[in-house]
Parts: sequence; structure tokens; C-alpha cells
Amino acid sequence: MSSKRHRSDLALFGGAPLFERPRSTSSLVAPDFDAFLAYSRVFYDARQFSNNGPLVQQLEQRLAQLHGTTHCVTFCSGFWALVLAVKCLALPGRSEIVMPSLTYRRMADVASWAGLVPRFCEVDPQTLAVSAQTVRPSINSQTALLLGVHPIVNCCDAVGLEQLSDETGIPLFIDAVESVYETVQGRKVGSFGRAECFSLHASKLLNGFEGGYVTTNDEYLAGRLVRMRGFGFYTPDTVQEFGMNAKLNEIHAAMALAGLDGLTRQVERNRERYQTYRQALAGLRGIRLVAFDEAERCGYKNILVELLDDWPLSRQRTLELLNAENVFARAYYAPPLHLKVGGASAPPGSLHVTERLAERFLLLPCGHFVDEQDIRQIVELLRFLHAQEAQLQPGVLS
Amino acid sequence: MSAAPLAVLGAAPAFEHPLPVGQLYFPDWSDYVQAMRGIFERQYYTNQGPLVCELESALQERLGVQHVICVANATIGLMMAAEALVLRGRVITPAFSFIATSQSLTWAGAEPLFCDVDPRSHQLDPVRVEQALWQEDVSAVLAVNLWGDVCDYAELARLAAKRGVPLYFDSAHAFGCEVNGRAVGGFGALEVFSFHATKVLSAAEGGCVCTNDDALAARLRNIRSSYGAGPPVPVRRTANGRMSEAQAAIALLSLQGWPAIYERNQALFTAYEVGLQGVAGLRLLHPGAVSRTNYQYVVCEIEAAVFGLDRDELHAVLRAENVLARRYFAPGIHRCMPYREQFPDVSADLPVTEALCSSVLQLPIGQAVDHAAVARVASVIRTAQAHAPTVRTALQRASA
Repeated sequence: MSSKRHRSDLALFGGAPLFERPRSTSSLVAPDFDAFLAYSRVFYDARQFSNNGPLVQQLEQRLAQLHGTTHCVTFCSGFWALVLAVKCLALPGRSEIVMPSLTYRRMADVASWAGLVPRFCEVDPQTLAVSAQTVRPSINSQTALLLGVHPIVNCCDAVGLEQLSDETGIPLFIDAVESVYETVQGRKVGSFGRAECFSLHASKLLNGFEGGYVTTNDEYLAGRLVRMRGFGFYTPDTVQEFGMNAKLNEIHAAMALAGLDGLTRQVERNRERYQTYRQALAGLRGIRLVAFDEAERCGYKNILVELLDDWPLSRQRTLELLNAENVFARAYYAPPLHLKVGGASAPPGSLHVTERLAERFLLLPCGHFVDEQDIRQIVELLRFLHAQEAQLQPGVLS
Repeated sequence: MSAAPLAVLGAAPAFEHPLPVGQLYFPDWSDYVQAMRGIFERQYYTNQGPLVCELESALQERLGVQHVICVANATIGLMMAAEALVLRGRVITPAFSFIATSQSLTWAGAEPLFCDVDPRSHQLDPVRVEQALWQEDVSAVLAVNLWGDVCDYAELARLAAKRGVPLYFDSAHAFGCEVNGRAVGGFGALEVFSFHATKVLSAAEGGCVCTNDDALAARLRNIRSSYGAGPPVPVRRTANGRMSEAQAAIALLSLQGWPAIYERNQALFTAYEVGLQGVAGLRLLHPGAVSRTNYQYVVCEIEAAVFGLDRDELHAVLRAENVLARRYFAPGIHRCMPYREQFPDVSADLPVTEALCSSVLQLPIGQAVDHAAVARVASVIRTAQAHAPTVRTALQRASA
């Protein structure tokens, strides 16, 4: 158990850090090496490193299957997957994309590359996600697209958002990067809205080094995305569409395929980590673990906690103390985008719920590097911080 | 007279398997396994990892530039470059290039101002650049170093400086080239290389941006996302342009194999020179502005009236033999979407580009090609010429 007994044992005050190697909030799962090599052999023997190679095709088929969609298109990253899909789906002649402010730090940049201006909306304080109710007030005559975002834990009300989309005629696109394995009302994430987007970055559930993909049941959209990720080539000698290079290479596809083979086992391990956190945090006052909705299928990847009013340290101070111990906990989506990038759609102070939530949540270490023993030590450390809080406030001298 | 031994005339193809144009370097399997095992042991997969850092240092040293910023692919590198240079308005660039050159400008919110090229070297024509430079709203020159050769660096630099706009380079074709003994990579405001599998240095997919400008490098790193590499500076918007450890591992192996890759290409190029010597109406391009080329491409110009077949007919002959010759860049960028709608009347200003788009052909070179293959390709070309009328009739019949 944690050897921290006195303030001076804390790394911030000169003690040895709790962990020699950082424990992060990234998944960093290592697939089976032999499986990765076996997949690699396929592109190696075909002498094809990229350009819609055999493994990219295989990966796209398997991901479509995983999400229960007819189509999947892979990309070199989730970022460019988002940009290209937003560009395709936005209603022509309109300028705005409705998105939560409490989300991925580059999402406003995604909108910008796609030629749109973000209109930031509120989230539901219970789910931390957008809902039909929070999105509706932001819709106007310039709204080109609704961006639903599944939060870090559990999902947004995708069904309600679909209804809003049907009602208004404005397409719905969902950032589902954190919800690869989840279901909403029993239906697999991936087929909601016009399309959904995922990441294959090493920190995510499926580690493809770097990469991303879009799932959809829309054949026309899938075809357009395939062309746009390959410079818009329609045939080797004709460019029919504006595009770029956003192709996934074969090594990355091999990695993701090996990861897919081990996915069930990974989710099982994530569930064990989550259960350990749940048990260990149960008796700790001031911290609430955001529970997975186990009535649905869950990937259990992220560990999100709320610092309640009776947690005695500020989040900033808590993070400083934890990070010094090589516990790389992170603030949850802070600052929110409307405070970071500005813009007329949501001046500071206008999104009360978002601004309050952005001060309260923490992501705790999870993923491949974190075992049960680590989790107990992390929670023990939090307990110690709680007990010693008077000595740990900023500015308190020893 | 019996039919000539050509696949378009019914003979068996000269090659059982397709012979591609790209370089297609592949490391030895054991080297691949070892490199990947290293990544799995370090469990560091991306985000400016140790191999990317090693690659950037190695390239900085090799190219003699202050900053090398590795990227996911060269197109993203060009998009980041246009962002980092804060381009707007119009950017002078050739229409005789790969489509990504102009697409990068459009992504960044600028517009290509198409400029014609030199009929001998195919590089951007400084005389035409000078005329274009004084048009309204020009914010930069994006020159392209084609075919293992380079533009007239000195003249373009002089012109751009006179107009007070930055000059930068799409050097996707020019890794390993030298001008008067100095490595390509350090010219202009920046240069972008491609490490796509078809290039002389391969990262599977990948590329890098090179610059000697500290401020520009800082902006590029911030746009790419760099996890602590370099100081944070404000940029208009960021992106994801990261190169993974797997890509860097392949590039490092490819760099290690560079002397062998270079020698092989040089020998194959020489074999083409010998094999195609004296073929009337076929001009093999010799990179002339570089002191050292990379032999990345074998580029031919076909003068139809003299050769007896036009470029597309010869292309069809070669394809039938399983020789995957390419017609870069047909159609020219100005005839591709969305530019053909944006600039419908520009063709008249690009007579050389128009001519090259219908006469230029690339032949296979690189790691999948050997001397016997070169000899056979040359022999197919000679046979096609010798039987040009018969070939033409057969092709017309087939397309009717």
C-alpha cells in the first residue's frame, strides 16, 4: 500500500514519486505481437504499404461488423476523419455546426478545417453530453450540421438527437471516439445519425498507432469519403472531388486488426479495473466515480470522477499533487472550447452548466499499464490527500 | 508477316506480374520484425516518440537544415506549411504537378494561381512566374521540384524577394537530390518531402517539412501537435499531422538502406538510357539543374508524329504487357475538380502544361524492378514502334 505517511513523503514536497513510470489515462494496449506480425505478413507479401491495401480492406469489413453498419471508411487519424465527414455532411450554403463546448480540445479546429463556424451548446448535467434539449436552442437558419458527441463515460441520447435531426432536416453526425464498444438502447454505437466517427490512436480502445474511421449505412457518403481521403481520385486518371491524403497505412491497419482480435479480453480487463476503482473509492468522501450504465454494453475504458463540494482541495491542486507522483490524472475537457477559442456564439458566462462541470471532473489512470495494485495505491493516495488537506493547500508552509 | 509479340496483338504479356512505377522499398522481414519488437518493448506508439525524434535528428544532419518536422504524409505537410505561412489570396504554383500541391492551398484558404512550366525541364518557368508575381493579391510562390530535378532556385528566390513574398517548395520528388553539392531541403522558406511508399525514402506513408526559420518551425510544430517538442506559439488552428513510431521505424530502415537504394536506381536509370537510346520520338528526361539526382522517376516524352504512336497508345501497349506505366500528370491540376470550374479559362495560359499532359509517360524503376525487366520494357517499346500502324489499328478496333 501507499507508503505516504507525512507531507514530506509526497513527491511535490520532495518525496519519491509513487510510481517510477507514469500511470496515464491512455489505453496504450499492446496487442499480441505474433498476431500483429501475422497480419503484417499479408501486406509485406503483397508488397503494399498503403493505398487501400489488403489489411485496410479487411479492417474496414471487421469494423463495419463490430458496429453493425454496412460501411466503414478508415483514415490516417480521427482528426481528418472528422474533418472530411463534417465537410461531406454539412448542408451546403450554411455556415454553422452545433457542438458541445465541453469536448475534444481540437473540435473547433475540426470545424474550421471543414469551413464551418462552431456554435457551442450546453450539455446535460447528468450525462455530461449534448441532448436534443441542449442542442435545440442553438439551431438557426445557418445550421449546417448537428455534432453529437458521446462523452467519456456512457453515451449521449443518440435516439433523441436522431429525432431532432429528422424533425429539423439538419443532418446528425456523432463523434463516438470514446464509445467503440457501447450500445444505446441495445443498439450498437456506429449506426446512429448519418455517420459516426472513431479513433485508432494508441490512447484509445483500439490501438492502431494513429488512425481513425467513420461508420455509416450511407453508401454514397462512404464512396465520397473513400475518394476524398485519396485526393479525390475517381479513377487513376480522374479527380472528381476535392480531397487530400488521409489514407490509413497497412502497418497501422495490422496493429488495429490485432487489437480487434483481443478486444473482448481488453474490455474484460477494463471492467476489472473499473470494479477495483469502484470498490476502492466507495468509502472515500468527496469523490464520486461516474458509473457505467451496465444496462448497456460498456467498454469500461475511462475512469472519470467528480470532485464533490466536500472534497477539500481544488482540482488544480489535486492535479499538481497527483501528477508529481507520476499519477497522470487529467482535467476533464478544461477549459471548455467557448472559453478557449472565443467566438460570438457563446461568450464567457453564457454556458453555466458547462462552465461549472468543466471545474469538477478528473480522469484517473486507466488502460494497459494500470493494474489492480496500482489502483489501490492511487486511491490510497487520494485518501491520504484528503486526510492531510490542511497541510496541502497552496501556500501552506511546513 | 506474323504478328509482333505484343500483348495488344494477342501475345502473352511480357510480365506475368504487374510491374509498378513507384520505388516500393521494403525492409528485410527480419529488420521489420526487430524494429516493431523494439516499439512493442518500449510501448511507445506515437506522439513524438523516440524513433520520430531520432529520424528528425538524422534528417536535420543529412540535409543540413535547422528543423525537420516529420508528418503523417506530405499532403498534410503542405497543408500545415500553407497554414504556418499564413497564406491568403493567390499562390503561384504549377498546374503540372500532383493534385495535392494545389489542394494544400485550397485547404488553407488560399487559391492557386496556375503558372506554366519550362518545356525541356518541366519545372516552373521563371519568366512566367515573374509575369504572374505582379498580379493582384499574390501572397507566395509554391514551386515544385519535379522528377528528381529542381526549379531554378536562384532565379525564383530573386523574383520572390523582389515582390516580397515567401517562396517554398513541394519537394516530394526530390529527397536525396543536391544542387551544387548542397542537399535539397534547405532552400526557400521551407521544403516538404514525401516519404510515401512510392518515393525513394519510404515511411509507408509520411513526409517531413524542413526549414531554417525558427519561428516558422515553432508554428509548424504547434499545428502538427508535438507533445512538448519546441515552444508553444499561437497558431490560427491546429491539426493532427503526427508521424507514428511505426512510420518512423520504416523511414529509419529506408535511410539505412539509402546507398543501396540509390545505386540500384542509378544502375536502372542507366539501363533505360542504353535500352532506349536512338528510339525516335522518345525523349528520356535527364535532371539537369541538380548536381546529384535521386533517380526516383524515369520520365519520357513521346512525340507522337515521330514515334509513330501517341503517349496514350504507348501507355495502352505497356499496360497490356503488365507494365504499369503512368501518365503523371494527366489531366493537369487545372482540369481537375474543383479547379476546372473555378478557373474555366486558364488552359490558354498553360500551353506547355497542356502539351506535357498529353505527351509525358513514367516507366517502372525502384526496388521491384531489375535489369532484365528494364531490357524487356525497352524491347516492348521498340517493338511497338516497329509495328506502330498495326498496333494503332488493333487499339482502335478494341476501343470501338
